Parts: sequence; C-alpha cells; structure tokens
Amino acid sequence: MGQKIYRYAVATRLSHWVWVLAFGVLVSSGLQIFNAAPYLDASDKSNPARRVLSIDSPADGVGTTTIFGRTFTTTGWLGFTDDGMGGRSPRAFPGWITIPAYQDLADGRRWHLFFAWVASVCWLAWLISSAIKGNLRDMVLRPADLPKLWPMQAYYLKLRAEPPPHGLYNPLQKAAYTLVGFVIAPLVVITGLALSPGIDAIAQPLTWLLGGRQFARLWHFTSMLLLLGFFAVHTFQVLTQGVFNQMNAMISGWYRLGEHDGVGP
Amino acid sequence: MNRKLFIATSISSALAACSPIGTALNNNEGFHSFLGKAQGLNHALIGTRGMAREYRDADVDRNFRTNGLPTPSDSSYQEMVARGFAPYRLVIDGAVERRRAYSLAQLRGMQQTTQITRHDCVEGWSAIGKWSGVPLRDILADVRPRADAKYAVFYCMDKDDQNTPYYESLDLHEASHPQTLLALRLNDAPLDPDHGAPVRLRVPTQLGYKSAKWVNRIEFVGSFGTIYSGHGGYWEDQGYEWYAGI
Repeated sequence: MGQKIYRYAVATRLSHWVWVLAFGVLVSSGLQIFNAAPYLDASDKSNPARRVLSIDSPADGVGTTTIFGRTFTTTGWLGFTDDGMGGRSPRAFPGWITIPAYQDLADGRRWHLFFAWVASVCWLAWLISSAIKGNLRDMVLRPADLPKLWPMQAYYLKLRAEPPPHGLYNPLQKAAYTLVGFVIAPLVVITGLALSPGIDAIAQPLTWLLGGRQFARLWHFTSMLLLLGFFAVHTFQVLTQGVFNQMNAMISGWYRLGEHDGVGP
Repeated sequence: MNRKLFIATSISSALAACSPIGTALNNNEGFHSFLGKAQGLNHALIGTRGMAREYRDADVDRNFRTNGLPTPSDSSYQEMVARGFAPYRLVIDGAVERRRAYSLAQLRGMQQTTQITRHDCVEGWSAIGKWSGVPLRDILADVRPRADAKYAVFYCMDKDDQNTPYYESLDLHEASHPQTLLALRLNDAPLDPDHGAPVRLRVPTQLGYKSAKWVNRIEFVGSFGTIYSGHGGYWEDQGYEWYAGI
C-alpha cells in the first residue's frame, strides 16, 4: 500500500462536483435548445448552403442526420425520437437526454442560463482560490513538460516500463486540464455569449471573429462535444486507474500514491 | 472488476436520471421560478448597450422568413388591408402627456430611418432584413411619457388559436435605443400582411419575439403586472424571459 497524500483542496473537490452537476444540466438543456432549430450553419445569418449538421425527420417514423452533406438514417436516436411524453415524434435529440424531457424551449433556456452562471462563477471561484493557494502550479502545463508528453503516452501504450518523472500530475494530465480549464471551458462560455444579440451589440468584434451568429452556435456545439470527449476519457481513466482511490480522493481529498505516481509537489 | 462495473453502472444511471429528475424539478413551481433568477443578472450585466451590427444591401434575405402567430384573418384587418390601411390608427396612450392616434400617412410623414440588421430568433436561426420606419424615440419625444411611465406595452392585432392576443413590452431605456424602430417597410417595400403590416416593432438588440408585428397601440405604464398574465409579453406569459438580450 502506497503512501497517502492530501491531493485535492476543498475548493477543488467542491468545484469538481458542482461542475459535474452543471455540465450535465448544461448539456441536457443545451440539446433541448438545439432541438428548436436542429441544424448548424457555418455562417452569420442562417444559410442552408453552409449547413454543417442537420437533424431531420423527412417522413413520419424516420429520423436522419446529415453531416457535411452525407445523410445517415438515425431513427430512434436522432431526428425521430422519444418525445418525453411516452411516444415518438419528429425531434432531433431524444427526450431521455434533454431537460425537460418533453419539448420546451423556454424551460430549456431557463435551466441553461441559470447553470451557465453556476458553472462560470464556480470556475472563477476555483481559479482565484487555486491561484492564492498555489495549486495551479501543479496542474498547468509548462514548456518543461512538453518533452515528457510522448514518453508519458508511450507508458500508457505499454511501450515504456516507467512514466517520465513528474510531480502531482503527469504531463498528459496537465495538458488535458490546461486545455479543458483554460481553453475549451472559456471557449464554450464565450461562444455561448457571442450568439446572443445583446452581447453582439456590446462586443461586435467577438461575434464577427467567430464568423457570425450561426457560426458561434456551431462553435458552441463543437466546444460542447470537446468537453464531452474530455468527460468520456476522464471517466474511462478514473474507472481504470483505481476507481475507489480516485473517487475517495475527490471526496475526502486523500489519495493513495501508486507505484508509478509522482511523489507529489 | 465487479466494483468497476458497479461504478460504471452508477455513472450511467446518474446520467440517465438527469432528464427525469430535471423534468420533475422543472414542474416544481418554486424551483422553476428560482431558475428564473438568472434573468435579473443577465439584464443588469448585459442590458441594452452598444449597437447591433448593420449590414450591406447584399446581405439582405429577400424572402424574409415568417414565424410565430398567423397573420390576422379577422374581417376588420382584412378590411384595412383592402383599403390600404386607411382606417388604421396607431394609438398611444397611458402615462403620457400627449395622447396620440397616428394614421399611417402621418407615420410615413415623420423622419424615416433605415437599418439593415440581423433578426435573431430565440429558436436559434437568424435572417437579415432592411427595415425603414420611425425611430421609437421620436414617438416618445412627441407624446412625452410622464415620470410614472416605466414601460411601453405594444398591443398587436394577431391572436393565437385560443384567441389570446400577442403583445410585448420594453422599458423606456430599450424603447429609446436609437435602433429601436417602428418599421413601416421591409426590403424596400411597404410591410406586407405576413410581415406585420402596416407597423411592426424592430428591436435588433434583443431576440426576435420582442419585435412584435401588427402593432396598433402603445400604452405607457408604470408596471405590466396586471396586463394579461402579467409577464410583459405573449411569450413571456408562456415562460420566456422578459429580458431577451441573451
């Protein structure tokens, strides 16, 4: 049994679980909002000629998904799905994945705009707290970590017996946390704001830089997919790298070091 | 391995429970109204500042999309259409120093401005139109809202299938924004019935449902709490935010 270290500060643990909740709500309510106009255009105003994604129900009982002009039949999953009221109807994302389950744009927006605040305020509070305590140093990727990225990946691929020496987090973890915490998460907030007419009026260059309102909507959706991708990999890692130790650490703060873990700060 | 299976099952169950739990909470009145608190923050922080982007003629959607309630089909509206809107009056009343009833000819005789702006629907789509008409702040200058006037309420001629009329409201700050327009023309032609003839509101700094069509009365009030269901608009009464800048 390895040595136990205090790995996660209260602010980190609390914000981690607030984000789990907020992210779940934001994705489900976001898909509810998407359902009101189930297509994404790489343009400022709506333009079917620049349509990247479209989820349709071309005939009763049929759902299709068109990506970059290629159409796939997705009945039951996308396009013609669970309507959240015990039946199936033309609906892009199914009711079991949206909040509320039935089609309701107004309430989807209500959840989304509330939890956008929860997630953003939580991010800011975590950032300030971590900066003050100095925890950020352990997790932000630095130039010195770059040469260690491949050796770490090689270790995961079992091409190397030992991970490169590292601190509390390994270089790949640092890269992932830095990318998610300081690039993708801010991007999802900025792109969400940019598709609002009130923000566009205040910060015209922002919406313009993203390619316009429909493009901002496309970026918003894409950055959500990237966060979902991180969530999937993150969950897989937790499940395969000593799930009870990891879960316990994110609840109590105490983590039992494994033989290949770094020795801490 | 069983423990991992247990955790994996727990995570999937938690994900699958998100929607039903959310739906149950959504139907709880107290929780539902608590979620609405975010609107106050958004209104205070974003509000109506700056100017909506203005576009070039080439950007205009010539077949501007129609959406929302159907075009009025009652006989009085039909008669107005048939008579070139000669019987139409835009009534301004409530907390103003000078009540007015403008004919269409009078509105056309006032200083006109043109804007090519993007209409952003709450559903997510956008379209660009060229709008001409009278800036609402010129009307305000003419009727002079009293000190107790806080909101302009726009009454419309369209009704839903339950016979509930459309209406909207803006506060006086939003109503005085230089781009808030009483539009008489769309894409170089007088508004046609489907696009809100003869007069529609155009609020390019907020979502499309604020831009009420078929407006025939503007009432200045201290509060909209007693008007229809009390939330300041047809869609607001159905759960949409009164502040539609986001």
